[in-house]
Amino acid sequence: MDVLLNEEEQMLKNLAREFLEKECPPDLARAMEADERGYPPALWRKLAELGWLGLALPETYGGQGLPLVYLGHIFEELGRAIAPVPIHSTMTAALAIARDGSEAMRREILPAVARGDMVLTWAFTEGDPRFLPQSVQLQAADRGDYFLVSGAKMFVDNFNVAQKCLVACRTAPGSSGAEGISLLLVDTQSPGISATQLSTLAKDKQFQVVFQGVRVPKSNLVGKQGQGWPVAERMLDQATALLCAQMVGATRKDAEMAIEYAKNRVAFGRPIGAFQSIQHLCADMIIWVDGGQLLTYEALWRMDQGLPASIEVSQAKAFCNDRCEAVVRSSQVIHGGIGFMVEFNLHLWFRRVSAWTMRLGTSFEHRARIANGLLDQPGHVRLGESMYQLSPSR
Amino acid sequence: MDFGFTPQQEALKQEVRQFIAENVTQEVIAELESAEEGGRGPNYRGLLLKAGERGWVGMSWPKEYGGQGGSRLNQYIVEEEFSRVGVSVGGAGSGAPAILAAGTEEQKRYFLPRIMRGEAVFALGFTEPQAGADLAGLQCRAVRDGDEFVVNGQKIFTTAAHYATHLYLMARTDPEVPKHKGISIFLVPMDTPGITVRPLWTIQNDPPAPIGTTYGQRRTNEVFLEDVHVPVSCMLGEENSGWYVGALGLNLDRVGASRYLLSVRRDEDIINWVKDNQFGGFSPGQDPAVRDRLAELWIEAQVCRLMTMRSMSLVERGSKFSYEGSAEKVFSPEHGVRTTETITQVLGPYAQLMNGSLGAIEDGLFAHNVMGSFQSGINHGSVQVMRDQVARRGLGMPRG
Repeated sequence: MDVLLNEEEQMLKNLAREFLEKECPPDLARAMEADERGYPPALWRKLAELGWLGLALPETYGGQGLPLVYLGHIFEELGRAIAPVPIHSTMTAALAIARDGSEAMRREILPAVARGDMVLTWAFTEGDPRFLPQSVQLQAADRGDYFLVSGAKMFVDNFNVAQKCLVACRTAPGSSGAEGISLLLVDTQSPGISATQLSTLAKDKQFQVVFQGVRVPKSNLVGKQGQGWPVAERMLDQATALLCAQMVGATRKDAEMAIEYAKNRVAFGRPIGAFQSIQHLCADMIIWVDGGQLLTYEALWRMDQGLPASIEVSQAKAFCNDRCEAVVRSSQVIHGGIGFMVEFNLHLWFRRVSAWTMRLGTSFEHRARIANGLLDQPGHVRLGESMYQLSPSR
Repeated sequence: MDFGFTPQQEALKQEVRQFIAENVTQEVIAELESAEEGGRGPNYRGLLLKAGERGWVGMSWPKEYGGQGGSRLNQYIVEEEFSRVGVSVGGAGSGAPAILAAGTEEQKRYFLPRIMRGEAVFALGFTEPQAGADLAGLQCRAVRDGDEFVVNGQKIFTTAAHYATHLYLMARTDPEVPKHKGISIFLVPMDTPGITVRPLWTIQNDPPAPIGTTYGQRRTNEVFLEDVHVPVSCMLGEENSGWYVGALGLNLDRVGASRYLLSVRRDEDIINWVKDNQFGGFSPGQDPAVRDRLAELWIEAQVCRLMTMRSMSLVERGSKFSYEGSAEKVFSPEHGVRTTETITQVLGPYAQLMNGSLGAIEDGLFAHNVMGSFQSGINHGSVQVMRDQVARRGLGMPRG
């Protein structure tokens, strides 16, 4: 037990921070909000050269095979810099392919991702925004050696720049539960696909994607046909944990800006940071970010150990949703009117962190998952002990 | 980064549990529940000796003073198991961390083995009627007279004073300098002439708080010091350095198993209670609003655990605390209060029933908790003072 970063982790984090402070100023994030692609290919190339895109991918496929925790540190720093790169959607799909994709698929996709030559995304949500089996309704009719996909997906990240999209769909007609779900890797240029950009709070690139009789070869299945739910669950859990890391990084930076501002902004003849009402708020802000960070690290660490982690992921996301939002809102409050002005940078963090609280599971949804673990399984709970196999007595 | 315990540590945990099941007898429990003994009678001392034979007392203390020279984390594991049954096995709260850090060779050799055997128990003589949160403003005076100091003053909320062997006394030794710089600490035998102890009864005394209640103290004391002659050799640390020695002891006292459990035990209790029980045909554990709230509290409890582990990791690495101990001492006690107040709304009118009452739940534990849970946010540095420390020491914010 040592919940602090080891030397190697600290070094990686410091390097990432130095690089991003130099190469990824807030102006870049601002510029990319209005950019058609939404990311600068030159920066993406540099991330590949640094090895970040292959960091947690297997060495056999051009990656470095490092633990997910290390990728978490990178995501934290990317969040801190609100780096406008499609890394979250790319890693979400790439890690799923690394784990559950076919050999041919891994050979085709993963080295290209690590080199920075391929952007990926994934598509799950349709109408019902919850991350449950019944939310998946997109039909993929079995036509022998291919599927015919019809329906629509929402909130698909970076679809405009992705070459491939990992799509959750139903390959068993009439099914509605966990059975009958499959994951298909779809070429985004396939005939029958159309995409409409959504206008979002974070001014990021999200799309509605409509599939009209799109042909997808059976060899593009990730996982077994009709048994894609566990594959999707693992993908969503990893994506959620990495999003938490990104949120924690962005939120800490946002809090630091408020603390710095409070030290310098003078009112009533002294810096407002000398008032306890401001000091105590800032203390809480840091305590909340620390809490989110510790929960996130524990979730990532458990995944690296091959331990069940769905409850830990939900703990992290529910806490980050509530507390990170409270931090960035408080930071706006401390800044007063200036934080509301478009030319001031603070809102770049505020809008993103707020938007991320709404992605990959609401607080209610994650807490429902935790409540199920706490209350619906036989046995008694005990803090610090496994939640996945409760002890028969206290 | 490592969030797991080693197989050896897991085995230690099991061994301690087994020991507790066999050795924490009804006699020990009865003694722990007694307000007069303060839970430190002959049965407790016997238990402590047995635990000491296993090498579980003072695990992280140096070998030359009777400790095991082992890991703080192992000590935490043992402390957590014992704290769960209301037994303190030395560590946080014992005065030992400060003696180890600031004591003379003679003091270490005298006190540490005795603390381990339960023969030396400290009462914390810091707070005064006019000096609580503003502790540095204390007025108790110690005036040098040859090889002695003569002490006059009053202390309050001196909880262990009626069974302690020593007073861990903070007194003013120089009134001419800024208040933080004129304070010294003395380890004063309680049987020194001139010390009078008077009981103060808490709202948790009648009916008596069951073991494990937060905060659960039935009795505390005021202590009067009139011309108490204290040899210079009783001073802990340098003269006038007492503020810093005391702060060190407090910092180490704010973290650890006992403080953590004070804040989170009720999370387990209420969840396990609603799993096992219902009111008539109604199961609160199936109410969506209750489920959402309990899950939220459970997440917070994990944060308390992880913040405790962060403090342990810092101690284990020999690193200094910046704001981490204070942060933990804000989040955890306030979490304990949120849980307590939630429980009252989960159990409704049943939560008011005290031990002995018809219909009491868990022997009145939850009702007692309403009275005591906020205490953890007050003693040993209130959450407001802790927030000051996080802001000023941790975040470098200016003084007002």
